Order: sequence, then structure tokens, then C-alpha cells
Amino acid sequence: MAALLRSARFLRFSPSGSLQIIGTKRNGLPLGGLYGGAVGGRITGPCTRRVASGVGNAPRPCAWPCASSGTMRGYTVSTEQREGDASLGVRSKQAQQFDWALAKLDNSVRRTGRITKTQLLRIFHDICRAGYPSGNQALLLLRSCGCLMPEMPLADRTDLAHRVWDKLQELGASYDSSHYNALLKVYLQNEFKFSPTEFLAKMEAANVTPNRVTYQRLIAAYCQNGDIKGASTILGFMKSKDLPITEAVFNSLLTGHAKAGDMESAVNVLPVMRGAGIEPGPDTYVALLTAYADKGDMENIKKTMETVEEAADSSLMDRDIMQVIFSLAMAGHQQHIPELVERMRHERGYVPDAMNLCLSLITQGQEDTAFAILKTFPTLQAYNVNSDSPDLGNFFLRHCVNMEKPVEKIVGYCKELQDANLHASPLFFTLSCALEDKKTGFSHELMKAVKEQDLPLRPHYFWPLLVHHVKDSNTAGVLDVLKSMQELGVPADAETFSRYILPVFPDKETARRALEEVGCSLQSEGFLSSEIRSFATTSDLAALYATLSDPSFPAMDLTAFRGSLIAGFKKSDNVENMVKITEFLYNDPRFCRENSTPAEAVSFFLYHLIDSMGERDLHAQEEKLRQYFHKLKLQNIVIPYNIYRGIRNILASFNLEDLIKDVLFLVDPCDRVTGAEGKLLMLEKNLAQLKEEGKPVGAVFKQLILLLCAEDKLQRALELKQEFEDEIGRHAGGCAALINLCCRHDNVEEAINLKTEMSRKDSSAVLDASKYLALVKVLAKHGRMDEAVDMLKEMREKEVMLKEHNLTTLFHLLNGLGAKGDVGGVRRLQDTVFALGLTRPTGNLCSPLVSAYLQNNDTPGALEAAMECYKRFKQMPRIHDIAVALVEKGNTDLLQKTMDFVSQERGEMTMLYDLFFAFVQTAHYREAHKIIETPGMRAKPGRLQWYAEKCIGANQMEPLDNMVELTAKLFECDRDEMYSYILRLCKETNDFHKAEATWTKMQDENVIPRERTMRLLANILKSNGQEVPFEVPETWYEDISTMEEVQVLTEAPRSRMAAADPFRALPTPDKAGINCTTRMLTLCKKKRPKEAYGMLKDADQKGAAVNPAAYDILIRSLLAEGSLEEAMQVKDMAVSCVSGFQLSDIANSLLIVTLSKNGQTEEGMATLKSMLQANQVPMTLAITRLVQALAQGPEADAAGIQEVASLTKALGSPLAVSSMLFANNTALAHIRRGEVESAVEVLEAVYTAPGSSFPNMSFVYRKVLEENHDEAMDKLSAMAERLANHFGCCRPAADLFLTLIDMDKVEDAKFLLARCNAVAEQKAVMVSYLAGLSKKPGQVDKVKSLLSLIPDFTEKDVQYTYMMKCYAQDDDLASAKALHEQMLRERVDVDDLSLKRLAVLYRRAGEAAPYAEPPESFKFYAEKLKERKAQAERGLESPSLTSSLHPSILCP
Amino acid sequence: MAATSGFKKVFELYVSKIPWTLANKEMREYFGQFGVVKRCLLPTDKETGFHKGFCWITYSAEESLSNALHTDPHVLEGAKLQVQRNRRHQFIPESTQKNKDSDEAL
Repeated sequence: MAALLRSARFLRFSPSGSLQIIGTKRNGLPLGGLYGGAVGGRITGPCTRRVASGVGNAPRPCAWPCASSGTMRGYTVSTEQREGDASLGVRSKQAQQFDWALAKLDNSVRRTGRITKTQLLRIFHDICRAGYPSGNQALLLLRSCGCLMPEMPLADRTDLAHRVWDKLQELGASYDSSHYNALLKVYLQNEFKFSPTEFLAKMEAANVTPNRVTYQRLIAAYCQNGDIKGASTILGFMKSKDLPITEAVFNSLLTGHAKAGDMESAVNVLPVMRGAGIEPGPDTYVALLTAYADKGDMENIKKTMETVEEAADSSLMDRDIMQVIFSLAMAGHQQHIPELVERMRHERGYVPDAMNLCLSLITQGQEDTAFAILKTFPTLQAYNVNSDSPDLGNFFLRHCVNMEKPVEKIVGYCKELQDANLHASPLFFTLSCALEDKKTGFSHELMKAVKEQDLPLRPHYFWPLLVHHVKDSNTAGVLDVLKSMQELGVPADAETFSRYILPVFPDKETARRALEEVGCSLQSEGFLSSEIRSFATTSDLAALYATLSDPSFPAMDLTAFRGSLIAGFKKSDNVENMVKITEFLYNDPRFCRENSTPAEAVSFFLYHLIDSMGERDLHAQEEKLRQYFHKLKLQNIVIPYNIYRGIRNILASFNLEDLIKDVLFLVDPCDRVTGAEGKLLMLEKNLAQLKEEGKPVGAVFKQLILLLCAEDKLQRALELKQEFEDEIGRHAGGCAALINLCCRHDNVEEAINLKTEMSRKDSSAVLDASKYLALVKVLAKHGRMDEAVDMLKEMREKEVMLKEHNLTTLFHLLNGLGAKGDVGGVRRLQDTVFALGLTRPTGNLCSPLVSAYLQNNDTPGALEAAMECYKRFKQMPRIHDIAVALVEKGNTDLLQKTMDFVSQERGEMTMLYDLFFAFVQTAHYREAHKIIETPGMRAKPGRLQWYAEKCIGANQMEPLDNMVELTAKLFECDRDEMYSYILRLCKETNDFHKAEATWTKMQDENVIPRERTMRLLANILKSNGQEVPFEVPETWYEDISTMEEVQVLTEAPRSRMAAADPFRALPTPDKAGINCTTRMLTLCKKKRPKEAYGMLKDADQKGAAVNPAAYDILIRSLLAEGSLEEAMQVKDMAVSCVSGFQLSDIANSLLIVTLSKNGQTEEGMATLKSMLQANQVPMTLAITRLVQALAQGPEADAAGIQEVASLTKALGSPLAVSSMLFANNTALAHIRRGEVESAVEVLEAVYTAPGSSFPNMSFVYRKVLEENHDEAMDKLSAMAERLANHFGCCRPAADLFLTLIDMDKVEDAKFLLARCNAVAEQKAVMVSYLAGLSKKPGQVDKVKSLLSLIPDFTEKDVQYTYMMKCYAQDDDLASAKALHEQMLRERVDVDDLSLKRLAVLYRRAGEAAPYAEPPESFKFYAEKLKERKAQAERGLESPSLTSSLHPSILCP
Repeated sequence: MAATSGFKKVFELYVSKIPWTLANKEMREYFGQFGVVKRCLLPTDKETGFHKGFCWITYSAEESLSNALHTDPHVLEGAKLQVQRNRRHQFIPESTQKNKDSDEAL
């Protein structure tokens, strides 16, 4: 708050001050001194000081003669007593919001010394929207309407202040003298002319007493107009009231005399002040300087400044000088300004102050002076942090645009800035400001200037102007901009047309006519391609075809509209038209680029079409594409083989093998034959022919070799090579491929021959790294190490780099040798590779050597090798395996040596872990135990994880289990993490017995599991059909309603507690109380609150203190169990131990729930009332239960329900109680009392109320049906039909219909439907009911009943998705299978979610699904489906349907 | 199925600090000097009508991408563009595409 409140800290008393500051607190918030009457420390605005000097609170510490409003607060005795209809709860929320608003403004003032209009308006609107504005908020807003907004013209600022004043008053803010004084200050700062006497009268009428500050400011107001007489009247009045005359008053008088033209008296104020015992301060001098400045009296200005400089205790700051500059400018004495500018010392904070000065000057028409000031900015300022080029004066230019200064002038400024290298592109910046502000005319002028300077103008410059016209469907606006574009010679391009111009017209004809009228060419490429695009994207393929095939249509590259065409094809179902267009484009040369053919362009288009469709679309539209390809074939459309290959690759990657065949048909038959085979044949034929004709065969030969290699036909390739002995060496690529092929076929001789041949023919030819490695591999495999080493050397010579994936190959190469125990081979290759520097030695690459020794059972050799590796490369490969081998052999000496080595090189801790893991691995658990108990051992999570992952990877439960057990006491060991490793392995092996045992063990060990662990465990149990013995932590998508509500309630606050409660974070408690608290919380969490209660009693007797929050949690847990009595006892204990203990909102809410359940409605009501009194907000559930209890109780207490309703209403919006809760229950209460008519009245009123949202009343029907209350049922049913047939309100009838179905009264439902046909159209209600059904098992029959009565209330795919969910709930594989088949038969799109559900059913039944199970999670597919529905619905505008779809589909 | 060299690879640049005066066309032209630009996505703010100051350039060949990346600085109409390789996509290493049975992994 500092900047806004800073002034308050500097409060000082005037020498004559007889006032005392009394507490400035108000509403308990430290905001009393908001702005402290003055503006923040940094505020300079020239008018500030000028006005301030008259009023006496200038923003500097020593110049604070009197704590204006701060002091005044002392007088205002709690004017904040207004008690509206807002509860205190709402008010405290307001207070928070106020803090936020204040912080925001404060931040702005601190950074820039100003507030922008937008900022202020936003806060103003927020405050208005929230309602109940507080006095402080009003003050905050009012005070901001002065010189804190230098960018706003003075009159506008005053208008804004008045708007704020009136609006907040209307909303119920009450004003005291502080508000009136704030308004006065704003008047002064804005030089607003008003009548002081009227102002006083207004205050009097409002029954607000003016205070000293009021008078001071009124004096200032008179003086501002030079009205000394008026000022004197007030002055006399102050004297008569014995109010102190402060420096501020004298300063005002000085200004007043000067304004009245009496400089002599003005100057004379100073000695008078001194006579009164007040030393003139800087403000006084500023007032004097300003007075001289008004007259342009430079002589005296200089003199006065010197006087001030001489006086020891005061000096003028930059911002004081700025004020004088401002006055000079305003009075038209610009010529003197440079002299003063020079006097400024560029103190800290100069820039923001100077910026504000510039802004004020611009606002008030003195932009030239402002520009002069701008040029004095330190040039460093030009380079800001965010850009590399200078951009000084952005604020200046922007404000010039805002104030619509003459364009020529701005262009001049821009030029000057650019020439001085202060700004890289000022003109474009200015233009962007104008565009942002949507100033069409202004932008036009600026663009003219841009054009004159030969800078580029582009169509997209106009988009910011067009975008809002399009949004407002403002045709005239769009045409204006278009005209401007034409005048400037910028023709609109396709994008501009299709995005920003055409959409504004209702249809194409209108658009064409309007465009023609403004003289816009309809033959321009931009327009035409935009038109095509619009046809394409709206899938109007017929129109598109007509346009394109018009002979007058000019030539246009297909790529100009390819994207839209693809989009259109994707959307269209009209294959005929797609084919027609494709065929047309295929034959018409107008639509391809110069150096290509239309056939090529179309082929490419097909590739792009497939490429852009993506997996989902391709699968969904497979059939359509098949037809499309078929028909293209019929039209003799042929695509080249390489295009086919591209398409094939895409389709293959999405498993659309079938479709590939259809594409293949499009390939030229001679190209195709049977894919590669055919091509081979063709090439062979070509080759033979060329040979026969004696022509060079090079190209074909190379192609053929490459193809043979790709097809893995070594034999034929070698034959060919023989046949064309000379050729092979000439084609490095073909040769390399052949070498690789030979290596793969283990034909080392041929490979080497080819290699030699290649080098002979072309010594510069280089193989790539993978081929070299293939050679090395095959050579090494055949024991030809020398040659292998030579190969490596050649790699070095030819600078062949090893890439990441080559390293893997290299490792496998070495490891392969190692696995054969070829120590010598590995060593030789490894040494060569490292010696040549082909790659850096890594642990991985070093390990094959050790492996080779281990393979040969030569552990000492392995150890030597590892130690050598360490010496040479600082790598210690396979130490664990060596240690394991040594332990197994019982070779203690060597083991000792190994460990000494590790210990020496890597430290003792590493050694101990290595030893530990070696013992665990070899099942030497006793030894392992000793190791882990070594004093000083601590958990190394990384190492433990390494071993655990190793076990999980190798599926070794025993060592893992032991490792976890052995580390139980290890210091700082994350137990949850340890157990989660076991569970992960259990999941891998699907071993739920082990998982269950682990769970028990965790409890033994008192481990508090993370949610992740619990989910993992639940997952294992569930997928094995086991009951989950605990509550699975909820994730957002889980179905809350099916859980026991109260459990949810205890769950939520607990997790909230977890964040707040420090005890949970500390697993090592050392104090009895903390220990007790933790254990209690754990017990509560495990749903054993009774035990926790017992423990608490013990602790209480022993006098151990328990964390107060723990009491609350225990009470909540007990209540959740329904243990009312114990809960109340804990409460008593808490009250006696913790002073001022109060149940939390949640605990109280639970209490109400419990009481309501027990039928103790009176107590429940009392608790509710006490909560509201304590400003607690009850939970919705508490209200619901209480209301239901009231309705069901013996009294059927309709009046009680009304009381709760009105109590809740007073709380206002924070409570989201269903609107029907009260109506439904009131109706029920009436029915129970036999007053059915009243019930009908209540309900009917709800539905016939204007703006009714037609809420759900199934609850009433259900209760009535359950109670077999026939009379009531008849009347309610009659009401529903009446509402449906006469008022067109079908909701009650639909609710009744669904309730009947839900209660298996299908016949009744059928009759109702016959009487009220409109019910069938309540799609949203039905779907949401369906969604609800599919969440619970055993509901299929109801779904079927519903569908049998209204078979087509929604789309098939939606119905089937829910059906599938129902079957999944019931674990009914047979039906699900049948449904799936039905869907396939009916060609209903089976979404991934349903497929996933079905697959899980298969899996549970131990059967294999006939398709690949969608790999992602349920959540993933649910999201996907949701997104798709949302997209589909967006066009249909049926939000209710989509919203009813979301929650249910999400839950598997 | 012998998978030919990876169409799955995406050679994409992320370009930021684009001055508002440049549009798609200019970006395409400029970055076209390093190779064939397959796609240029310069998102526009629907509210303001200005583009958002960043764009993605997709090349069809790796070479073009590295050409662009090796050029520094990229100055276009006086503004220095910030150009980096786009990290959105996971690249599939070459080794998995050739002579390995990678299809199952995908």
C-alpha cells in the first residue's frame, strides 16, 4: 500500500497546529489514511502542486503542514454504521476486494505516478457490480479522479468524479466529510468552477459538518479564481471557530492575490506568514514561482529560485520546477522553458514525473512543450529492456493519438525522433496506436504519411479497424475501411476479404453489389480466391464448382485456396461434388503453377488432404474417402507413385491398410503393377533395353540397386552388380546401400569388396556412420579385428561423426561381443573408439568389457577392467554385478578390494549402498541388514529408486520386498515411495494378494500414503474385482453424487487441512501433543474417529495439548459417522482447553446435517441461526438437509422452510442453494398437511413466474409416489398437463414422465406421453436423465423403457454411448457385445470411449477384444468426446445438451 | 512395410518478436530464403485484429531448418526477430525409422 499511503507516514503538524491526530482506523482496515488526502509520494502532475500549494498537502514529507483527512478522521465518528441487507459475511468479502483494488491502484501509482482511465473504470465497475460499496471504496475512487489521471481532460475527470459520486450514492454508499473534502480536492485539481456556498449548502443538507480541511479547500477554490473577498469570508469564519490557519491557507492566499493581479500583496504574504510564526515552505515558493510564471516574469523566477537555493532548509525539486514549467506553458511563455529545463537535476524518479508532465501538457494542448521535455529524457531511456531498438516516446505518441493531435504534427515528431535515433519506427508505432483505438480517419491520414515516406502499406494494417465492424455487423463501417484501402492503393487480399469483409454481408450477392458500388474490383485475385474459399469452407461445393468452371475465371494457383478446399472436403458428404471438382482441377491448366501440370497439382492436393485430416478424421471418414477414391478412378485420375507412397505412409501409420489399396488404384498401372515388384520389373526392363541399345545405364542401374536393397533382394542385387561390374563403383549411394545389405546378410566378403571398389573408383566417397558401424560389426563378428579397427580409423580420417543413435548401435555391437565373452575383441574396439575420439567414453560404452569378463566367469578380470576404466575414463561400469558375483562366490578378499576401491573413489556411502544392494540381490539379508544399520546411513532416494526400478524391470519381487523391509528404519527414507515401488510391481504382475498385504503393512508402519499410491492400490484391487477397503481419493472427474455425501464433506476439508496443518508435513514427531495430534488425524482419516476420541480423552487426562484444528477435524469425523453425542463431548473438551473455541463452518454445517437426520429440526434451526450470527456461511448440504427434515418432520413445517429461505436469502449469492429446494419442500410440507391446493399453488407460481428457469421438480413427484398419495398425484399431474398444454411449459410434465419411468411405472408414463406429446421434445431433460442413469449400475431396463417410449429423443450415437456405459456399469459383456454389433450394423460411429469401455469388459471377462484397446485413459477419451460434442453443438446452439453430457460421460 | 524417411518429422521454427507491420506473406518470403516453407502460422488476435507477435514456420526439409537456425541475426525491416527451433514436437530419431521394426512401437 506504500505509495498510496506513503503520505500518511509523513504526517507532521503545522507549527501552529492545535489539532491532534486521533486513531485513523476505520472498519478495522489500515486504510484510513488512503492517499492521506494528498496523492502518492511520487505524484507530481503540475497541477498537483499548483493546487496542492493552495490546499496544503503537497507530496513531500517536510511540506505537510497538516494531516488533512487523516486528522479529520478523528472527527468523523464511525459513519460506517449503515446496516443494509448485506450480511457481515458479504461485507468482509467486500473488504478483501477493496484491498485488492487498492493494491492495484497503489501499484500503478508507485510505478508510474498515475492511474489510467481504463484501470479506474474497471475498478469502478467491479465495485458497482459487487454492490454495497463501502465508504472507503468511494473515497478511493473519488480521489483518483484528479491529477492522478494526467491523460484525461480536466472536464472529463470532473464528470467522472460526479458519475462515481452519484452512482455509489445510489448503490447505498454513505458519504461523510472525507468524501466531500475529496470531491473538493478533485474540483481544485481539475480547476472546476463551482460555487463554494452552494457546496456548503449541499453538505449541510446532507447533514455533514464541514471541517477545517473543507474550509481550507474552499479558500483555495476562491483563491484559484482570484476571489480574495470570498476567501476572506471563509478565513474569518475559520478564525471565529478558532480553527488554526496553516501554511496551506497562506499559500492559497498568495495564489489568490496573484490571480487577482496584486503581486505586491502576493509577495507580502511571506512576511505575514513569518509574522504568524509559520516559515514559508517549498510549497509557498512554488506558489510564488507559479504566480511569476503566469506573468512570464523570468527575472523574478530566477531571483526567487536563488533565494530558495540560499535558504538552507528547503530546496526545489525537479517536480517543483516542472510545475513552474507547466504554468509557463499554460500561460504562453514557452520561450522561457528551456532555461528552466536546464535547471532540473534529473533526480531519481525524474522520468515518471516528466512523463506525467508531458501527458498533462499534451492533454491541455501544449504538445510542443511536451515534445521539448521529451527530448530532455536521458537517452538511455530509449532502449528499454524488451526490445533491441530504441523506442523513446511511445507514451508520448500514444497520447497524441488519443488526443487526436493533428497528423502533420505527429508525423513531424516522428521524423524528429527517428532522425535523432531515439525511436526506430515511430510512425508505425503511432499507426498501431491509432489502429488499436479504431480511429479509422486518423489511421487513414497516418497511412498516407507512411505511403509518402515510401514505407510499405499492407492489407493486414486494416484488420484492427475491420475486426470490430465485423463483430458489430457494421456494413457501412467495413465499406468505409475498404474505401480507405482503395484510396491508399492497398487492394484487399484473400484473407482480408474472407475474414474481415465478406462475413459482414448477409449473402454473396449483397456483398458483390456493395463492393462494386464502392468501386472495388470483383476480378481481383484477392476477392475471387476469398469467394472460392468461402464456398469451400461452407462446403457449398456446387457453387464452388460453378465458380471455378466459369470460363471467365482467371488463372489462379490452387495453393491459394487449397487449405479451404481441404476444409470443405473434410466437411462435405457430397462425394459426387468432390469428385467433380477434383476432376475439373485435374484437367484445367488454369489452377497450377507455371512449371507444373494440373495433374501434379491435384496429386499434391490429394496428399495434403490426407495429411491434414489426422487420425480421427481419417478413421471417421474412411468410407467417404473410399468412395471418393473409387470415383476418381472412374474419372481416370492418375497419381504418381511417389505421391501414393506419401499417402500410403500416412494411412499406414494410422492403421488404415484397407484404404491404401483404394489409393493404389489411382496409381498409373504401369507404375503400379504390384507396388515395388512392378517397379522392379519395369526398371529391369528399362535396364535391359538400355543395355541393348548401348546407352548409358547409370541412372536406371542406380535406381534398381537402391530398390533391390530396399526390398532386401541381395541375390539379385549381387547378380546385377556382377553384370555391370563397372557401374557399381560409380554410384556411391547404391554402393553404400548394397554394402549395408551385405552386412545385414552377414556377407562380409562382398561387403568388403564393394567397399574397396567404391574407394577405388571415388576416394572421396564416404559411408555414413551407421553403414561404417555395420561393417565394423560384421568384421568383428567374423573375427577380422584388424579390418574392423581399420574401418574405425577410416571413420576418423573421413570425419564421420557418431550421432546419438549410432552410439546405441555401437553399444550393442560391443555388448554383443561382450556377451560372447570376447574380451580381446571388445577391448580392442573399445580402445580404438576412445583413442580415436569417435565418442566420449560413457559408463554404458565401457560396460561391455566388464560384461565380457563376467561372461567368462573371470570376476577378478572384471574388477581389474572396471578399475582400469575408472582410472582411464572415470567410469565405474557394472560394479553392482561385480559385487554380486563376488558375494555369490564368497570371494571376500576381492569383495573387500572392490569396496575399498569404491569407497576411495566414490565415498563410503556409495560403497555401503553397493554392498547393500549386492547382499540384497544375493539374498544375504542378514548381511544387508547390518549394512543398512551402519551408523550415519541415510536414505539416498536416487540409489533406492535405481535398485527398485531394476527389480521392477526384471520382475524380481523378492529382493524388492526385502529392500523395502530392510530400509524401514533408514533415516529419511520415504516409506510411501518405497511401498509404491512394490505396488508398481504388483500392478505389473497383477498380484492383488501382494498388493493387499502391502496395504496392511503400510498401516502397520503407520505410513500416510500419498493419493497417487492409494489410487495405484485401488486400481490393482479394482481390476482384479476386489473391494477397495478405503476411499479412493477423489479426482475432479469422479462421480461425487454416488458417494456418501457426508464422506465427501469430511474429505474435502481434510485435504484443505493438509495444506494448513504443519503436523502432517513432519513425519518425525517428538512431542507428545504433536504425536497425539498426528495419530488422531490419521485415525480420523482412516474413519476410526471413535478410537481417535479415546486417544483424545487419554491425552486430555495426561494434559497433552492438542492442536485446536484437530478438535475440529475430530468433531467433523464423529459427525460424519453420526456420533452426535461424542462430537458434542469433544466440543466441550475443546471449549475448556482452548479459549474461544468455535466450531468451524464445516463442523457446524455437519452438525446441522446430523441434527436434521435425527429429526432435531429445532436444534438444527438454532445452530443455523447461531452460525449466521457468527458470520459463518453454512454449506449448501446443511441447508438442504434441514429443509428436507422440516418438510418430512411430524409438523411438516412449511413456515419453518420459509424462515430458512429468508435467512439464506439474506446471505446473498455466496450460497448456491438450488432454487427449487424451498419450493419443492414447501409443496411437500403442504401435501403432508393435506393442503394439496396450496402445494400446487406454490409450484405453479415457480413455473409461471416471468424469467423462470423451469427447474426440476421430480423430487416432489417421487416423494408423493413413494407415499402413494393418490389425491396429490392427481392434482400434481393435472397441474403438469395444464402447464404443458396451456403455458407451453413442459418441464413439470417431463419431470413427471421421467419419475414414472424411474419408478418402473412405464404404463403410466405411456399414458402421460399420450396426453402430453410435447414431453417427447424435452431433449435436454431426457439426455440429462439418461446421463444420470448411466452412472449407476442396474439401470439398463429404465434406459430401455425410456427408449421404447421415445425412441428418437436424441441422436443414436449419444444413446448408444450411454447404453454402453450402463452395460459397463453392470459388467454385462454379452449385451455390450450385442450393442457394439448393432452399432456397427447401423453404421453408428463408435467412439473411443465406448470402445475402451467394451475392451475393459472383455478384459475383465478374460477374453481378448477383437480390436486394439484404445491406449489412453478414460479421461482422455471423455475429454476428446466432450470436445467433439462441443464442436458439433457450437453450430446447433444447444448448450443444455452438451452440458448435460459432460459429467456423466467422464466417469468410466 | 518399408517406412520411407520420416514424414513424421516436423521441421519447425518458432519465431517471436515479430513487429505488427509484418504479415504472413512477409514471413513466408523471408523464411523462404532458407528453403521451401511448408506452412507458416501467424496467429491473429480475434479481438484486436493484430497478430500475436509470434509464428511457426514449418519447413519440409531439415536442411532448410538448420539453414535458418544458423543465420543470426534475423533482421527484417529493421526489427530483430527471435528465432528458435520449435520444441513442441517430439522428434523421432532416424534409427527407429530405418531397418528396425519400429511400426509396432508406434
